[in-house]
Amino acid sequence: MFDAGHARRPLVEVRGLKMHFPILAGVLRRRVGEVKAVDGVSFDILEGETLGLVGESGCGKSTCGRAILRLYDITEGAIRINGRDIARASHAELRKLRPTMQMVFQDPQASLNPRMTVAKIIAEPLDEHTTLSRREKMQRVHELMDAVGLSRDFANRFPHEFSGGQRQRIGIARALALNPQFIVCDEPIAALDVSIQAQVVNLLEDLQEQFGLTYLFISHDLSMVRHIADRVAVMYLGKVVELAPREPLYSAPLHPYTQALLSAVPEPDPSVRSTTERIILEGDVPSPANPPEGCNFSTRCPRVMDICRRQEPEFREVAAGHFVACHLCSPQPETTAGATAATQVSKSVQQGE
Amino acid sequence: MLNYTIRRLMFTVPVLLFISFIIFLLLDLAPNDPTGNLPMTIPPEVRQQIRESLGLDQPIWVRYLLWCKQFFINEPLNIIEQWFGIQIGDGDRLRVRSWATRSPVVDLIVERLPQTLWVVGMSYVVGILIAIPIGVVSAYRQYSWFDQIGTFISMVGFSVPTFFTGVLMIVIFSVWLGWFPSIYDTTLVVEDWASFMQQVRQMAMPVFVLALFNAAQISRFMRASMLDNLNQDYVRTARAKGLKERTVLLVHVLRNSLIPVVTVIALNVPQVFGGAIITEQVFKVNGLGQLLIIGIQGADIPLVQTLTFIFAVLIVLFNLIADILYGILDPRIRYD
Amino acid sequence: MKYRSILAAAALALASAPMAQAGRGDAGNLNIIYWQAASILNPYLSGGTKDIDASALILEPLARYDENGNMVPWLAEEIPTVANGGVSEDLTTITWKLKEGIKWSDGTDLTADDVVFTANYCMAPDGGCQGLAAFADVANVEALDPLTVKITFDKPKPFPYGPFVGATTPIIQRAQFENCVGAKAPECTEQNFNPVGTGPFRVVEFRANDVITMEANPNYRDPDKPHFATLTFKGGGDAAAAARAVLETGEFDYAWNLQIDPAILSQMAKGGKGTVISAFGTAVERLMVNLTNPDPALGEKRSTLEGGPHPFLTDPAVRRALSLAIDRNLLAEVGYGAAGQATCNVVPAPAIYVSTANDECLVQDIAKANAILDEAGWLPGPDGIRQKDGVRLSILYQTSTNAVRQDTQALIKQWWSEIGVETELKNIDAAVFFGGDQSSPDTFQKFYADIEMYTNLFDGTDPETYMKSWTCEEIPSPANNWLGSNMPRYCNPEYDALWAKLAATGPLEERAEIVKQLNDMLVQDGAMIPLIHRGRVSAHANSLTGVKLNTWDSEMWNVADWDRQ
Repeated sequence: MFDAGHARRPLVEVRGLKMHFPILAGVLRRRVGEVKAVDGVSFDILEGETLGLVGESGCGKSTCGRAILRLYDITEGAIRINGRDIARASHAELRKLRPTMQMVFQDPQASLNPRMTVAKIIAEPLDEHTTLSRREKMQRVHELMDAVGLSRDFANRFPHEFSGGQRQRIGIARALALNPQFIVCDEPIAALDVSIQAQVVNLLEDLQEQFGLTYLFISHDLSMVRHIADRVAVMYLGKVVELAPREPLYSAPLHPYTQALLSAVPEPDPSVRSTTERIILEGDVPSPANPPEGCNFSTRCPRVMDICRRQEPEFREVAAGHFVACHLCSPQPETTAGATAATQVSKSVQQGE
Repeated sequence: MLNYTIRRLMFTVPVLLFISFIIFLLLDLAPNDPTGNLPMTIPPEVRQQIRESLGLDQPIWVRYLLWCKQFFINEPLNIIEQWFGIQIGDGDRLRVRSWATRSPVVDLIVERLPQTLWVVGMSYVVGILIAIPIGVVSAYRQYSWFDQIGTFISMVGFSVPTFFTGVLMIVIFSVWLGWFPSIYDTTLVVEDWASFMQQVRQMAMPVFVLALFNAAQISRFMRASMLDNLNQDYVRTARAKGLKERTVLLVHVLRNSLIPVVTVIALNVPQVFGGAIITEQVFKVNGLGQLLIIGIQGADIPLVQTLTFIFAVLIVLFNLIADILYGILDPRIRYD
Repeated sequence: MKYRSILAAAALALASAPMAQAGRGDAGNLNIIYWQAASILNPYLSGGTKDIDASALILEPLARYDENGNMVPWLAEEIPTVANGGVSEDLTTITWKLKEGIKWSDGTDLTADDVVFTANYCMAPDGGCQGLAAFADVANVEALDPLTVKITFDKPKPFPYGPFVGATTPIIQRAQFENCVGAKAPECTEQNFNPVGTGPFRVVEFRANDVITMEANPNYRDPDKPHFATLTFKGGGDAAAAARAVLETGEFDYAWNLQIDPAILSQMAKGGKGTVISAFGTAVERLMVNLTNPDPALGEKRSTLEGGPHPFLTDPAVRRALSLAIDRNLLAEVGYGAAGQATCNVVPAPAIYVSTANDECLVQDIAKANAILDEAGWLPGPDGIRQKDGVRLSILYQTSTNAVRQDTQALIKQWWSEIGVETELKNIDAAVFFGGDQSSPDTFQKFYADIEMYTNLFDGTDPETYMKSWTCEEIPSPANNWLGSNMPRYCNPEYDALWAKLAATGPLEERAEIVKQLNDMLVQDGAMIPLIHRGRVSAHANSLTGVKLNTWDSEMWNVADWDRQ
């Protein structure tokens, strides 16, 4: 899957993306502050790869996904898709770009217009962006339904008549209608039964292979991300704290938050399970309207240092393709633990090569 | 849907019978007397004879059954006779008669319907036509100046009583400016441009006053429903599809938002038939609302009983229609 | 507008030749607004004044009262009297002669048969005729010839002008109503809505409780009248709106019964479009004093003679003090304006019947009222309320719901508190208060209170029937289903004897003297405390001429003479 041998070009480039929502209050609804849902995020998504975006709920990962597709008017930053900067594109320009970038939503029920039949839902983007005849459109709808494994007989049914998994297939078929290059999958399996989750994920993988798709796969389910993603980004309170290829991240996480997250994942292998110690984070996630000074994680970090409360750590590459924002991993490591972790990482990256 | 409708209709029969009995009982228990408004010069013995001639000396169940027979059997037969021009039986049936006018209640209602439908119905239509765009824009541009003004006007329209706005308009437009008549002419026949303009002028104020009230209510519904839908994922989906904003708004959001609004509109239709008691009184549009209030004031029990029962029928009917409409509009709802 | 002009043209075309230069139909349309809409045009089945006034445009009696209360022949040649031989010496019969050549609006002749039929129509059992009181003691009505009607009474009738005099008992056409007698009366909708009459107008369209469109009667006896070709009789709204339509917007020519805040009415009159007119009849707003005990503990017997006398209102001193404490002039000014005058009499008009013996009460005198109570032994208790022998002067004072009445109640309560009388106020919806519902405890007949207030009046100019209201046999009680008009439960054999004398006395001057005595007995015995002599207030457009506001008959009595300037 991850073929580092060929330096693939980045399809999506995100630089310093900020999405702040204003807090309005008072009689005149004055702006009294802002929720920093996404606060300076940078990463690339390479063509054909799947980037997993993980984090607790409320960390801003969904907002990030929507902001990248410009479903919001972003506050700051640059987004380039296929070499084209869309951060400041007008709505009219965006509309023309929509066919290349699509989204699969978390709640398949809510994301489908309840008053439209499946055929209409899938065909609507075709109406808008193509000049196909009715028959051609119907043909395309049927192809897409085949592709996602839905019987063609269901074309004239309404979304509520389907099960959750089927609905998500409709959502995927709809996203595929215009042959996009890039799809943001916003927790596409979170609302589904566990038995269905695998089916949908496998479908997504098959489609990726078939159509050469690039995914941003947003999820809080670390094991599912491990299964599907090539690289993984971890978000905490509006920021990416660690970004690395899948294996290094899972085997040797550098950021204390990533470590904590991974320790919470049930390990299927009992021998490994007994050795990993579960890290329990204390305290609540601070409000994104009022993030702490210094490192965002400093209020809960089990290995917090003085500097963490004063200075925001830089997001830097500590090993090839492994980025982390933590003072523990800065060039002058103050503790041995950090150094050990860093060496481990570089080792595993080397192994990967 | 058909089975559901039939089942519901069957169920309404006992409900309506029960309602009619309750209305009858309430009216009978109310300490009201049809001779109460007669001049003081009429001696009590004569009043007693008048009451007896109205059948008030009969026990309540006799009077109720008589009303039932008149309303459920005689009146429908009469309507059938009139519509089809046929004679059923000897045609000499006791009809539900108003005590004050001594004329059949149904004839009075038929006479009143045109002005009520014109004025109250028109105000409802105008109110809806104003309310929907206001609700859509208010929701789409939430907290904008348009929304703020819309909210303010709705609050005014909703909270200021029509007897105030009505009299205010009469003072301004009839007394000071002399643009519109303050008294509605129910005998006006529209037959040419001049009489049409006359009709428009005399309808302007009552329609506006009522439309403001209706629009205030419906625009708030519309706005709330739009806001509910605007934040739904499917709207995001529609945007992600790259649809035009117009399409997103009018095809996706508006159509879904209209479902609850349409049912509210349907539920309020009986009010149109009920007339607008206060507005009709203020502008002297002597429609069904005024008929009802006169009936109540004069203790004209057959009139009040029949009118309130017809309103009850309409309310039950439009509840059913609203439910069926909901089923038609929203594919998620299935009754069978 | 076009609709109107077509009607006008039709009326003109129908009218006979002589009216060519002046008169009938040349004044166009007359717009009348009655804020209580007419329900029916048959006054015998009517719901009140509104219907009687509307029907007065169409139907006419044998004689009417003019604006001064004088009887004038209308369909009759002259007023029958003993002097001209129309009334028999023994006072048991009266013979009316009809004017010759009077036609119904359908062109047929008015005959004595129609008059006889009208009497039989009203007196038929099960008809629920509203004018029945006018036919009291009538034994027989017969036509002596096509233009002569003789009415025979059971007993001598010194005042035989009950039937067919005034607006409540006009003549209806026999041909039209022949099949509508008795129980069938209410079923004749067509007849009741479109009566054929002899009056100046006839119905074009009747919309019950809404509007009546009329046109000039082509067969009206005076070829120059009525001056108006068409007439619109609109109903609905309220008194203030009706006043506005005449005085401020000028949409209507005549508005009836404008009992609104006097200050608002005079403000509207400044508009310059119309004139407010008022006139006084026999209506008196008064306090009825319950002379029996309304104590709820008495159960069935409360407020009846069997229940015993009232604990303190039977004391003349108390009643006199209550009356003296009231400033009637202020009440009139605040509540009635041009339509009210202070009065101390039960019979305030016509002038010959008015007593001056009670005028003490016209001036409020709280000091004197207090002195009277002190003298009678009613002394203030610890709470400031006067009492004697454990009885406190605490009054429950009820009336119908009506803004003016509630203002009056509040003022009176204030004055009575100044003489150490405690008052509890109560108001009851008019339809309940004046309604005769046997099951309701709140009717004015049951009088489950100490004092109640309302207006009473009599039709026409003769108070004989009216004065009978306070004889012993008129006392409402469970025995007579609370039917009766003697609300104070006043029972005085002297009064009854004097009334009997009135009923047997012919000459007007003697009758007037007896009525004054009866009036003084009622007031001085404290059965009633008269407050306000109430007039009628109406308004007409300045361009309308010939209006003579008449309180003795229908306000529409002389509509044939109305004209536009």
